[in-house]
Amino acid sequence: MVQHRLPMLPSAGEVPWAASVNGVEKQLNIEGNAILLDVLRDQAGSLGTKRGCDMGTCGCCTVLVDGQPRLSCLTLAAEADGAEITTVEGLADGHHLHPIQEMFAECGGSQCGFCTPGFLVVCSALLEENPSPSDDEIKCAIEGNLCRCTGYQQIVDSVRAASEILTSGRGVGDSTAPKSDPHPGFAGE
Amino acid sequence: MADSDENSAADKNEDEMVGYRQQPGKLPFAKPGSGGKDRFSRPTDDAMIPESQGGQKAQPWGPHRHDGLVSGQVIGKPTALVDSRWKVTGQAHYGDDVRLAGELIGRIIRSPHHYARVLSIDCSKALELPGVVAIATGADAANKFGVLPVTKDEHAMAVEKARHAGDLVACVAAEDEATAREAERLIEVEYEILDSIHDMRDGLEDSENPIHDRGRYHIGEANVQKRVFQEFGDIDGMASSAVASHKQNWLFAGVNHAATEPHAVVAHWDPSGRLTLYTPQQVPHYVHRALADVLEVPMHQINVHRTFVGGGFGGKSDPFPHEMCAAILARKSGRPVRICFDREEVYWINRGRHPSRIEMNLHADDEGRICGIETDALIDGGAFASFGHVTTYYNGVLHTAPYEIGAFHYTGARVWTNKPASGAMRGHGAVNSRCAVETGLDDLAEQLSVDPITLRLANLLPPHSATITGFRVTSIGMRECLERVKEASGWDEKFRKMPLGKGIGIGCGFFISGSGLPIHWDPNKFPHATVHLKIDMDGGVTVHTGAADIGQGSDTVVAQSVAEVLGLPLDMIRVKSRDSDTSPVDLGSYSSRVTFMNANAAISAAMQIRDELLDATAEITGADRTKLVIGDRRIFAKNDPAVGVSYLEALHKAQEDRGALVASGAYRTPPMGRTHKGAAAGLAPAYSFSAYVAEVSVDVETGQTKVEKVWAAHDCGKALNPLSVKGQIIGSCHMGMGQVLSEEMRYGRSGHLMNPDLLDYKIPSVHEMPEVVPIIVESNDPEGPFGAKEAGEGPLLPILPAVCNAVYDAVGVRTAELPITPDRMHKLIEKKCKSSGVKDPLDLSAPRLEHSALQDTLASRAAEHAERDLARRLDDDRQPYHNGALFGLDPTIPPDEVDERWAVNVIPSEEYLASPRLAGSAWKHTERRHRGDA
Repeated sequence: MVQHRLPMLPSAGEVPWAASVNGVEKQLNIEGNAILLDVLRDQAGSLGTKRGCDMGTCGCCTVLVDGQPRLSCLTLAAEADGAEITTVEGLADGHHLHPIQEMFAECGGSQCGFCTPGFLVVCSALLEENPSPSDDEIKCAIEGNLCRCTGYQQIVDSVRAASEILTSGRGVGDSTAPKSDPHPGFAGE
Repeated sequence: MADSDENSAADKNEDEMVGYRQQPGKLPFAKPGSGGKDRFSRPTDDAMIPESQGGQKAQPWGPHRHDGLVSGQVIGKPTALVDSRWKVTGQAHYGDDVRLAGELIGRIIRSPHHYARVLSIDCSKALELPGVVAIATGADAANKFGVLPVTKDEHAMAVEKARHAGDLVACVAAEDEATAREAERLIEVEYEILDSIHDMRDGLEDSENPIHDRGRYHIGEANVQKRVFQEFGDIDGMASSAVASHKQNWLFAGVNHAATEPHAVVAHWDPSGRLTLYTPQQVPHYVHRALADVLEVPMHQINVHRTFVGGGFGGKSDPFPHEMCAAILARKSGRPVRICFDREEVYWINRGRHPSRIEMNLHADDEGRICGIETDALIDGGAFASFGHVTTYYNGVLHTAPYEIGAFHYTGARVWTNKPASGAMRGHGAVNSRCAVETGLDDLAEQLSVDPITLRLANLLPPHSATITGFRVTSIGMRECLERVKEASGWDEKFRKMPLGKGIGIGCGFFISGSGLPIHWDPNKFPHATVHLKIDMDGGVTVHTGAADIGQGSDTVVAQSVAEVLGLPLDMIRVKSRDSDTSPVDLGSYSSRVTFMNANAAISAAMQIRDELLDATAEITGADRTKLVIGDRRIFAKNDPAVGVSYLEALHKAQEDRGALVASGAYRTPPMGRTHKGAAAGLAPAYSFSAYVAEVSVDVETGQTKVEKVWAAHDCGKALNPLSVKGQIIGSCHMGMGQVLSEEMRYGRSGHLMNPDLLDYKIPSVHEMPEVVPIIVESNDPEGPFGAKEAGEGPLLPILPAVCNAVYDAVGVRTAELPITPDRMHKLIEKKCKSSGVKDPLDLSAPRLEHSALQDTLASRAAEHAERDLARRLDDDRQPYHNGALFGLDPTIPPDEVDERWAVNVIPSEEYLASPRLAGSAWKHTERRHRGDA
């Protein structure tokens, strides 16, 4: 067998790059041929964005670029220069989770959790656009994301539950508040 | 004298103490979380308290030994995973997310050849490249390792030979990935190419260069890694009494776990000279052992840190060569080294389900009894042993239940080929042969003109029985599973009644709930699982367990068990399961053992703390200790709930003079099984059962098969967390459906793996996924924690045969090759058209069923057995029941002890060897040690 391998070096040379990542302005020097996924993980500190396949098949690396879901492993970082990027770390409002996050946790939408960041950003974009999607609309939105644990059913359940929270206008509580009543049996006595 | 004076003074007035004393009322313990301000207390949730304890939870399967520990907190309630909020915020750190200061990036140099001798490795050019810090080769790690102690056949990197394309040859650590990849290119390896084998059948023959050399134990000069021969029951009688026989030659493609997280590892030798290995592992303990072997350092010098695991399914349960490489590179370079796989490398390391050729023969007699199962399974192990020793047994022994059978003949062989190694994958060893058995039963039912569900219901083993191979089976919910899917799916209105292209099919499953044999030690010496608890003044409980949470929710189930026994909300339990430094040794997440074994160990530890809390409460209140019960953070007298104390008061009382409470609980399986060679394979303290009905549509013109709906009943004993159990059932359907319809590791004519990526290796997307109706059956296992058994692997088994049988119902063709891709289906339909003399496939007719007289016989036998089973499961003083009673033998004695026709034989006879089946022909070789020439 003959191996055909191209030299990996020298690099394409560094270029300046600026973008808003989860609301924080980042000014970085990146390799000119850098992939957005690598920049986000290695330079912008978004380790929540996952690398699953490097070829756009699994959807784990999905982020929102100017509100639209994009596969960051197939996106040159330069394409996102100046954009507003939202990763899974940018969904929550402080300690108040986004309803889609809360419901993925509560309804079994996340098992091993590796594909979860991709699903979450896709579903948050869906709910942004369409707060009460039908099951078919949910399925079409997540068709580019692979999940090996859940069989998708509880993911669809989670999106439906999040949609109910969003349309009802209820928020998600502060995750730092005590989970169980600190004075059991005390209230109302 | 002075001493006794002081003592008597103290006796006089206990309140008089010498020295400084905390003033009453000062510095009270923080109250939030203390619980029990209410003087009156009730159980948290009466609906969850079992009837046997005076609660409202119905117990149709009788009481359980853990009933008295139920406080109504969390067991049985849908519970979010305790770590789920880490996952949904992106703060869960998996293998590649561990970033240490000064890290280097490691890359693996892999063999481009299927089979080659490594003549030389020249690293000089690579070492000259700026940024390259360390390079290691096989010369740096001479010691072998492997997951099973009996078959250690792997090296960190090729020593002498590379055994498959993608086998590790060298590794490099560099400042960044680009440099590492460039160094990879610059390392020059000289190979001598050897003749490789790719067809598993070739592995059975003698070879000039066997892929491994087992020394005296080598089987012939062949590539047979393991062979099994087993005969049980009335072997001679099975064919003669058969009125219906099924024979099928199956070919199962290899499949990969395709966990979304590619393997990754970080190794770091700290300034004290200790190694910490950060790895997404299902079985950290085996890596721990293997590292010690390979690195030649004692185990106590190594800490294995399990990161979050992005899906395992068996694919992250071996100790891996890249984990050794990272440790070696980090040692050489003096810096942390991180290695993360490309998706392609995941396929090179593989350990997926074995490609298999299975010949299945089933026989039924005139009373519709299964008088014989003959299985011959040749499995393709790829280049290494991995778990293969066990897989070879599992392909046989795991289909000796849930049916009572007259005879069981099994020949199995696992061969080495020059492919990425196969190993353990969800449903380990049981999936393919189960598919063959269940489709065979469908065929037998067809031949006997009876309903396949009735046929199964009339042949089930009763609860608390022994299988033909001597497995002790306790709780069995098989009958309920079958009855419930039958009803839910509307079986009677659909089966053999749907139009062409629409079909419905049934499949069952049987799986171990925790392997009875801890492979590294004598089961009678050390426990299978140990759990430590620590409770300090804050009242929160720290649980130390080595159980590896791989997303299935093991941390959650252990936390739930502790919370339930101590009457605490789940957020007061924190599970520490990551570091081998602090976790008790645990066998990890495989063989569906975690819920059964670790929850049992956790309960036993929590019971010790519970005892101390009850003692303290009795001391404070003066109440009768035996009347005390635990409710939500309050311990009180059952007959007078006003008498009691808060959890914290009791805890602080118990902590007097000693501080934090600690407890250690362990679980060990009871002595089980028989003594023949291989008797331990497949032994488990409990077994799970499942029955699925799948409804499919087949486009008869294109061969496209779609699963429309699945009714999935699984007997998990007791659903400790129904949310997770349902998730496991649906997820199993997904994975099994992939294997039956689309997933396949395809090898080209030159033996090269053609689809090592997720584009060509097709796992079902959301659009392929049918609606799954999970049905939980709770058979209340006597030894399971609160009655629970496994739910992670067993649910995968039935989906394959259910789909295959549904395809037959739809178009009348039996498939014998998986996956059923449209092209394969199309060929089968074409063949069917030819044989039935129709031109247009739309003119084919779907199979129809006219019940024979046997149907009523079977139905009445099933009804009788239902009563028998009910009586047995509620009878505490039941007689033994050995497989064979259905054939008229005394159920209380193993049949081979009373009837000479019922054999137990593990050595093939001369007569068999004269005309062996495919895998059976592995027995034509003699081990070297038994040959004169050795």
